[in-house]
Amino acid sequence: MILKLNINNKFYNTNIESDESLLVVLRHLGFKSVKKGCDTGTCGVCSVLIDGKPRLSCQFLAARAQGHKITTVEGLGKKADAIIDAIVNEGADQCGYCGPSLVLTTYAMKKELKDPTVNKIKHYLAGNLCRCSGYEGQLRGIKKYMGVK
Amino acid sequence: MKSVRKFDARPKLDGSWKFIDDYTYDGILHGQLLYSTCHHGYIKKINFPENYDLSEFTMVSPKDIPGENIVPEPVCDQPFMVDKEVMHYGQVIMGIAHPNRKLLLKFIKETKIEYEELPAIIDIKDCLDNEDNHFGKEIKIDHSIKKEPKVDWKYNHNIYYTPHQEQAYLEPQGVISVYNPRANTMFVRITAQCPFFVKHGVEAIMGKAVDEVIIETSEGIGGAFGGKEDFPSLFAGVSSLLSYKSGKPVKIILERSDDIQITTKRHPARVELETWTDPLTKKIKRCRIDYRLDAGAYQTLSPVVLARGALHSIGGYSIPDTLIRGRLFRSNTPSNGAFRGFGAPQAFAAMEAHIDRISADLKIDPYEFRKINLFRVGDEFPTTQKVVEENLSDCLERVIHNSDYHKKVIEFAEWNRTHKDKKGIGISVGYHGGGYTGNGEKVLNSEVKVIIDKDAQVKIFVANTDMGQGAHTTLAQMFFEAISHPREKCWVQLPNTSKTPNSGPTVASRTIYIIGNLLRKLALQIKEELGFENLEEYVKTHLQEFPREFHKNLTPDPSVIFDGDTNVGIAYKDYSWAACVNEIYFNANTYKIELKKSWNVMDVGKVVNEKIAMGQAEGGILQGLAYGLTEFFYKPGFGRAHGFTDYTLPTTLDLPEMDIEFIHTDSKIPKGLGEVPMDFPAPSIRNAFHNATGIFINEYPLIPESLLKAMEKDK
Ligand code: FES
Ligand code: FES
Repeated sequence: MILKLNINNKFYNTNIESDESLLVVLRHLGFKSVKKGCDTGTCGVCSVLIDGKPRLSCQFLAARAQGHKITTVEGLGKKADAIIDAIVNEGADQCGYCGPSLVLTTYAMKKELKDPTVNKIKHYLAGNLCRCSGYEGQLRGIKKYMGVK
Repeated sequence: MKSVRKFDARPKLDGSWKFIDDYTYDGILHGQLLYSTCHHGYIKKINFPENYDLSEFTMVSPKDIPGENIVPEPVCDQPFMVDKEVMHYGQVIMGIAHPNRKLLLKFIKETKIEYEELPAIIDIKDCLDNEDNHFGKEIKIDHSIKKEPKVDWKYNHNIYYTPHQEQAYLEPQGVISVYNPRANTMFVRITAQCPFFVKHGVEAIMGKAVDEVIIETSEGIGGAFGGKEDFPSLFAGVSSLLSYKSGKPVKIILERSDDIQITTKRHPARVELETWTDPLTKKIKRCRIDYRLDAGAYQTLSPVVLARGALHSIGGYSIPDTLIRGRLFRSNTPSNGAFRGFGAPQAFAAMEAHIDRISADLKIDPYEFRKINLFRVGDEFPTTQKVVEENLSDCLERVIHNSDYHKKVIEFAEWNRTHKDKKGIGISVGYHGGGYTGNGEKVLNSEVKVIIDKDAQVKIFVANTDMGQGAHTTLAQMFFEAISHPREKCWVQLPNTSKTPNSGPTVASRTIYIIGNLLRKLALQIKEELGFENLEEYVKTHLQEFPREFHKNLTPDPSVIFDGDTNVGIAYKDYSWAACVNEIYFNANTYKIELKKSWNVMDVGKVVNEKIAMGQAEGGILQGLAYGLTEFFYKPGFGRAHGFTDYTLPTTLDLPEMDIEFIHTDSKIPKGLGEVPMDFPAPSIRNAFHNATGIFINEYPLIPESLLKAMEKDK
């Protein structure tokens, strides 16, 4: 089927099979920041924003994404800088495989959480697994970015 | 102790850093492994599904191997692909490739294999409790005194079990092999820790069929923790054979469920401890240890894990009369392999629980008991190596102070009297010998290379990989700090076996400790040889001398002498030491342990890059805590895990409050850091559970159903 996808504010026409996940289609179109870690909706590294909300692209049929705004970390551009700096300043990036999805989810969280607390942040990020960092450094940086003590 | 920012931090976060699945080549085929779903038996027939054009597929089996069907490991007993007998579930039978990955996965799923099944050992206890399953060489560390124990000494005898643990690197195993028929070379790009191990693997399977094998890692290695040490050799062997046969580049990226089911795990262990303690002095006088590992179906690198585990099995205690046996046991499960800690977490799991058991029997606080028995300067390890520092005691004292341990012990006992839920606090200590065991570093003879260009750029060539631990940043930092060279003029190159000398594998907490120190020495040697104060100035005024190449091999420390047959001598020159206190809350309704706070103190010597070191500690400690508390891979009646749905990793919600301190950072040498955080924290959760409830548990993980069972037994 032919699909017209709005990715990072640009339209892409692509011919896909109807059961293709958004993850596969995005990677095929060259958005390599979107990673595959499990394909079963359990690790979070495939997260993208759909209309500003974090979604697991491995569990999202590409066909369903038509008519919605898809954002990958490539699309955040300069808007990602403050988040990246916050994480990097804590030395929290390690292998980096979880990195782009964490940046995206944090970006969405900042917009969504009106009254952030440590607990709310931890809940928001609970679907973003990281095996390297133990989350401590990530949370230190993200708390600063979110203005939470 | 500076915190130089990691050079790869930004590209990793903005998504531009390339991991293995981000590389592509023209005409690439996708490969997958067809593996056994039988635990033990013979293959009778392979039935490929109908309605596929088989001519579109490239398939390889042992008959296609021009070289040898044996993975070159410390013990060469594992075939790349099943030759006659299937020895375990997940054993590779064939490699299959096709241009369409989706179609290939479907084809493999629909392929049915008929077996003649044989009896199999799957269960951890069935494997480890039965002496008949022992295989390979036994290790004996004999520091025994031929004298009977005194009758009034308190005898304690317990058996402790630890389970598998999955490395759970978030990037699955992946490889791309590119055969070049014109040059007759095999180029392999791979996410792996040890490029030279992979090279030896591919050379073994290809034999004389190719003239040169070159291994280069992907830019990003998405976590490894030991899991990308040995399996990649087998994996790259099969992909290379597929590329050779098809004449096309072949990429294999494992699906998560395959990765979890067929790759190496931490060895399950059974550690039997017998101790005799003088009740008056509270000194442990005698100890007998039977340390067993479930190696899986083949030995592969398990003897090396066994040696390290047995050498650490005495814990941090000075016991004059000690005898340690270490043995491997065979099961029909995939070979277990390297995982951060390498045998030591299993050793401390047993000894640290045992110490609390003796303390309880002698009615002495576990801290006081540890204090009496911990290593003192002049004491001996069971290998006769002399203890030269009391930094382990320093770690313990510090963590007791930081956690306000004494006050909490009293407070919790008081609180527990009137509450159904319980609070508990527990201690554990541990250590990790840096670098290869015994003479290993001598044998490795590691070499590093540096090229200084005309613009004073320093290119560092080492085989050690950066899998997230920040090794390439820290290694460069050790070089440029030694000669005060600008940071932006010093880079570690991507490991490639045709360009980088063999500086050994990225394992054994040796990268900074051995290779970093070697680079620092090379930097100082170059400075002395050329006689400069400022390298940039020197290069400007001596342009004709550059680019210039420098090499240095490791000069083994002559004082490190170890007899690998008798296990006598210096097993490790330097040890990293650590101690932990964990505070828990036990919910009597849900049988769940909530980890409230974890205090950790470590002596890893000089800390080169504080933030990187802290990140290593934080990540390792959480892995260690989860090992004791939540992660299980196999359960009787449940079988083995298939993915992250049934192998659950800690999330942000499982994180306790964490307090980490490095001590003795004024030391001159940076010691091993990668593994010690994994070694020591888990036992203190179990000890805290005992403190809370008075119940001892001999097995990890402390999941609610185990606690429920233990508490019912105790009634
Ligand atoms: S790949 Fe989608 S959640 Fe893991
Ligand atoms: S940095 Fe490796 S998984 Fe998060």
